[in-house]
Amino acid sequence: MRWVGDSVFDPEKDGDFQICGNENFVLQYFHLDNGIQYQGEKNELHRLYTENYKAIEVDQSGWIRIRFIVNCQGQAGRFRIIGSDVDYREQIFDERITDQLLEITKSLDGWVIQSRDDLPQDYYQYLIFKIDRGELIDLLP
Amino acid sequence: MKLLHLLVFVMIYVGAFSQPNCEAYKYSGDTLKYKACKVSEKRRGHYQFSREYQEALDEALAIDSTFAYAYKVKSTAYLKSGDFITWKKLIDEAVKYDPEGELFYRASCRYQFFRDYEGAIEDIDRLDSMVDYDIGTSQNGDYHLNIVKALSYKGLGRLNKSLEVFERQLSDSSHYVGIYDYLHLGVLYLEMEKYSLAVESLKRQELENDIAENRYYIALAYKALDNNEKYFENLQRARKLYESGERMRDPYVEKMDQVFLSEILDEINLAERKL
Repeated sequence: MRWVGDSVFDPEKDGDFQICGNENFVLQYFHLDNGIQYQGEKNELHRLYTENYKAIEVDQSGWIRIRFIVNCQGQAGRFRIIGSDVDYREQIFDERITDQLLEITKSLDGWVIQSRDDLPQDYYQYLIFKIDRGELIDLLP
Repeated sequence: MKLLHLLVFVMIYVGAFSQPNCEAYKYSGDTLKYKACKVSEKRRGHYQFSREYQEALDEALAIDSTFAYAYKVKSTAYLKSGDFITWKKLIDEAVKYDPEGELFYRASCRYQFFRDYEGAIEDIDRLDSMVDYDIGTSQNGDYHLNIVKALSYKGLGRLNKSLEVFERQLSDSSHYVGIYDYLHLGVLYLEMEKYSLAVESLKRQELENDIAENRYYIALAYKALDNNEKYFENLQRARKLYESGERMRDPYVEKMDQVFLSEILDEINLAERKL
């Protein structure tokens, strides 16, 4: 581990996604002090997930996090997923839930290129989905 | 003896997240915690996500596995990376060894980062039952913990209970008004269709901290009261404030009742059609 939460490149999972700079300089989204930066703001993400996610009838609740890198060109890759129940214990959710969320997340193409000192940066972003019995009830952070 | 405990507590926790004063542990005779505390200082100058930072805390915990502070500061990087599983394991250890000192932090994060409303209420009630002094504010200082509790009830849809907690806290003469207190109260009144009370509260927010959100919500209250002039005027003001950066901000999360530009513009379009 270099940093907490680092995602090591895996050619099988990550295909040809590349970061622009050095691995040691991938920022966290909050370092840029602008919160989530998506075209149409976070509201657009709420809309996209509300419209595209179809609730699944299962007795599973908790949180699902999808973490990824947005590179200096605004492309996203290295998607990694974890899930927990409402007591924060690790939980593997029904694939019909996680596959949908991953698919929607991978299809997002409005990530804003964020710069520091006029230089576009690579940064880690994550989304957390709050699930109540298969229904998506909130999108964080 | 009680005074000595209080003195040691104050000596250790000057600044909730700064390095504790290790000498205070020595003074109180806890040499193990003193050693762990000194070792934890090795993380200074390292980024909290880094191996060096985390390993310094692991080393401290190897000396004293009951050193609550080390669990908390170790947990923060996991919190900020969205790893709720590891964060919770670590912060639970901190709370286990120092509930009085760390419950406020767990409660605040459960609310702020995970919208875990039930968990936040449970932690705040537990802290409240343990102490006979004011339970204090959230870790980022935005809210008194009782306001966090009121917002959590609102998040659960228990609006009457939320209002009860809000009103009790805001009527306490020792309450220090937070930067968003009256905004949230105004939105709560709005959701309860108590429009005149919403206007009153949002005007109070205007005096405390005039931002795009209070103007947007007061516009909605005026709309419900059929005052079209003030409805439109406040929407325009909301837009200006938003564009000049005067709005709710949190570098980590979207805040409850936060408004986005598209919502203001959509409402302006509706207003223009109406007028």
